[in-house]
Amino acid sequence: MAGMIAVCRKELADHLGSKRYIVLFALILSLSMLLAYQGAEYVRHNPRLGFMAAFSGAQFGFSFTAIMVLFGPIIGLSLSFDSINRERASGTLSVILSQPIHRDSVINGKFLAGTIALSLLSTTTIGIMCGVTIFILGFGPTAEESIRIVIYALFTILYLAFWHALGLLYSTATKKTSTSMLISVTTWLFFSIIIAIIAALIAFLLVPARIPVRAEGNITQIIQSEEFKESMRRRAQIQMNIQKLSPAYLYSEACNLILTSKPSGGFERPVRSLTLAESLLAIWPNVTAIIAALIFCFVASYILFLRLEIRPER
Amino acid sequence: MPETIIETFELTKKYGYITAVNRLNLKVYEGEIFGFLGPNGAGKTTTLLMLMGLTVPTSGTAKVGGYDIIKESREIRRIAGLLPEGAGYYEDLTARQNLDYIGQLNDIPRLERRKRIDELLEVVGLKRWADVKVEKFSRGMKQRLGIAGVLIKKPKIAFFDEPTIGLDPQGTKEIRDLLIRLNREEGLTIFLSSHLLYEVQQTCHRVGIIRDGRLVVADTIENLSRRVLGGRIVMEFELTDVNPELIKNIEAIDGVSLVKQEDHRLYVHMEKNKAREVSETITKSGSIILLMRPKEYSLEDIFLRLYRRG
Repeated sequence: MAGMIAVCRKELADHLGSKRYIVLFALILSLSMLLAYQGAEYVRHNPRLGFMAAFSGAQFGFSFTAIMVLFGPIIGLSLSFDSINRERASGTLSVILSQPIHRDSVINGKFLAGTIALSLLSTTTIGIMCGVTIFILGFGPTAEESIRIVIYALFTILYLAFWHALGLLYSTATKKTSTSMLISVTTWLFFSIIIAIIAALIAFLLVPARIPVRAEGNITQIIQSEEFKESMRRRAQIQMNIQKLSPAYLYSEACNLILTSKPSGGFERPVRSLTLAESLLAIWPNVTAIIAALIFCFVASYILFLRLEIRPER
Repeated sequence: MPETIIETFELTKKYGYITAVNRLNLKVYEGEIFGFLGPNGAGKTTTLLMLMGLTVPTSGTAKVGGYDIIKESREIRRIAGLLPEGAGYYEDLTARQNLDYIGQLNDIPRLERRKRIDELLEVVGLKRWADVKVEKFSRGMKQRLGIAGVLIKKPKIAFFDEPTIGLDPQGTKEIRDLLIRLNREEGLTIFLSSHLLYEVQQTCHRVGIIRDGRLVVADTIENLSRRVLGGRIVMEFELTDVNPELIKNIEAIDGVSLVKQEDHRLYVHMEKNKAREVSETITKSGSIILLMRPKEYSLEDIFLRLYRRG
């Protein structure tokens, strides 16, 4: 226990003082200030949406959730992709492990420190966003909305912690930091861009667009025909199901459910608000999936780490 | 008889098909500097890692300071320090911060930690560099920092894996002197692995020679040379004049087995000490002895002979 606390304290100090963390923090913070401003403007023009819309809806289509979807993997992975293999390569790991600590204190301490650093980042950012929004709007969230914001913050931490655990796994499984960095970047690109392209491609291949014979040549008629609309709907369904493999998608879907407090119906008017309990129920599968993924990554890196041979590389 | 502080019983470690350490039986006594000698890849590092409980043996076991290396490895790491080969330090931290972290991992209270760090930085000669980042350190300084890191827990036993590798002669000498001083003044038991014969000869009381994971021999250097030479003595003579007849006369002395000539020098191999008879013979022949001394065998000779024997 003492060993874990010592490792955690050192790692946390390292994170908070590291250039990567400061740069990412500054980036997210400055972006979120902008977002808070435009979110508040958005709420002002659509007062019926409520305070929460500051986080999800946005004039320019870019919300805090969207920022987290895009940068979340990078933030989480960048804190941990080299945490074990760098120490292995530089020879500090063998020095640390020669001390009277349990071997798992090292990986536990590292994970804990990373999670604390990420919590600090997300709570600070969300807190400042709330402050800015309240300042501009002149009113704050209701009690229920406050609870929703807390859940949103917790879920964001969980989401970042998942990426952090994945980075930890990469750093344990690879010997070179360059390898784990490459894998991390690939992972990020895959889940934030490539998976959407693949999903679209598969949907396109599985569901050919039906074009009614009588409407041949007439674009407007084609688009408005039931067959065409149906095939587009099926495509969207397939695309969504494939994208659900991505933690980023799960996160953004759940965030929309928890934040909007109104079922999103595209251009249709929201029928009625989801209650807090209903929202929680709706996001539950997503939360469980991300927790399961996090546990998988952490346990895998834990086992790999305990079995690691710490002989110096020749 | 001094007390046994490290004892291994048929200690074996296999990596796949390769046997890194093969049924090693070894004893190290309290208060000595034990040299663990062998070429690269002989199994020295593996043995050290097993003794510190950082790698689990395939079979066999060992006791370090009375603790079992498998069941009580954490206790061992409390009383024994290891300076691993290629040990690294956090480059962005100062010497003091690095030692402080190691102290924290050893659960040493803050005030005690601060006191020990100051003392140790003095001992290893890094006091002026205490608050300089380690990235500015030379190899020798890093190695001295490493020794301070080993000593911060006040160990009974210190393991050093190739402590002078990659150091310049000055750095090597500093490390060596430091180890000898720690042994003499603090009574620290030192287990030193090295592939450098000279180093072991200069530093260690006893030597264990390992090859292909097997312990070839373990003894004091004097005993080793006696064993290798089988009690024979070689005397070196430098004379003003050497002639074949003189050599014949010396060979005729009872107990002399062989005489080798190198210019004006003679190497006389004897079963028993016949130095007196030999010098008399030389004087009688009219030659003058300029120099006369027993030839000392270096560890290198012993090493090579042992290796040739397999």
